[in-house]
Amino acid sequence: MKKIALLLLLSITFTTHAAGLKPYSGNIKNPQVILQDLSGKTHTLEQYKGSIVLVQFWATYCPPCVKEMPSMNSMQDKLAKAGVPFKILAIDMAETRTEVEEFVKKIKPEFTILLDESGSSIGQWNVFAAPSNFLIDKQGQIKYTLFGGVEWDSPEIIEKITQLSQQ
Amino acid sequence: MGRMLTSLFYLYLQMFIKHTFFIILISIAAITNAKELKTIELPSGEETEVRIFPSKGNILIIGFACDNGKSKHEEATSISLAEDGIEVWMPDMLSTYMLPKSRSSYEEIPGEDLAHIIYEAIATNKDVYIVGSGSDTQLLLKVAAQWKKDYPDYKNLKGAILLFPRLNDGEPEPGVEPKYVSSVGTTTIPLMVLEGGRTPNRWGVNHLSQKLGSSGSQVISKIVPGIRGYFFNRNDPNRTEDVVTSQLSGLVKVSLHYLQELEK
Repeated sequence: MKKIALLLLLSITFTTHAAGLKPYSGNIKNPQVILQDLSGKTHTLEQYKGSIVLVQFWATYCPPCVKEMPSMNSMQDKLAKAGVPFKILAIDMAETRTEVEEFVKKIKPEFTILLDESGSSIGQWNVFAAPSNFLIDKQGQIKYTLFGGVEWDSPEIIEKITQLSQQ
Repeated sequence: MGRMLTSLFYLYLQMFIKHTFFIILISIAAITNAKELKTIELPSGEETEVRIFPSKGNILIIGFACDNGKSKHEEATSISLAEDGIEVWMPDMLSTYMLPKSRSSYEEIPGEDLAHIIYEAIATNKDVYIVGSGSDTQLLLKVAAQWKKDYPDYKNLKGAILLFPRLNDGEPEPGVEPKYVSSVGTTTIPLMVLEGGRTPNRWGVNHLSQKLGSSGSQVISKIVPGIRGYFFNRNDPNRTEDVVTSQLSGLVKVSLHYLQELEK
């Protein structure tokens, strides 16, 4: 019995640590995104209400941002196959369109990349480091945050997003 | 034949003079850039060795580089500054206390010892500025606060240059204002903050500057375009980073200029 309890405790600890998602403790009440993607199409957070949205602030010069992109592609696939309404909005932190386009050609992210050449959203979201991640619930509120690189397609994160989509 | 010998003699004499002149020039340059070692006895009883790049100007910079002397470029930068009339002192505080390079080590270095090094530098009658980079800036702020406490009547500590400071206390939390180490907001001396344009930290510069100034310091912050954090220690520098690295002394001089402007 003791062994089972210990294993259970360890698995909970592992899950929490592996996911790295922390309940949001800041005071941004109505987060906004109104930015264009590389094709010039405007995306707002409002239009994705009803879906779980991962808003990520990233930059081409940020090694962990680059490293985790394949796992973001994979996460998006897994959640789509599971029928979870989910969207990634990856906001580049104030680099030029040319810089981002060159990067996208090379790395090939399969999710939505948004440009914020003026950097205005960075201040609005209280972002001071990269990658900074915000997991938004179906009502458009920030539920979890995560700083740093992570394997986004890990079972723990997929599970957490699936759970969030059921709330 | 005699004429030929005389010509040869003059040719050799000319060459000798040229070579001697060249050797003298090199010697003068070597003397100018000579690194001296000064042992300072600290209030804690420890002794620290300070690398000194002497110069005759009236400015002295203390570089608190906590890297056990391993930092790339610091010697070249110091030599370049000394050539331009700025004396540089490089104490290595971690080696003095046999401490590892970690955040917790900064807490273990006695503030009184740090302030005493400034006291020794002030004794030269030069205007003293302190410089540090990355997480070493934590030590810089600590020594600035301690100096004010231990030597309130001395006015020669004119300012601090924080190159690409890393002063967050713990991991940043997205969407939440950053928390800083305790030495932020404890000094009143003028501060110059430089940050790379291609690092996420640039977005925190205004917030950090506000916190640094909360204790009364005047703070100037500038973004250096095109460079990443710790660019001078990277193995894969881009062209801009290469140029800026070779001109680190220029960055320091520009920073000094800004700090001097504040005094006017």
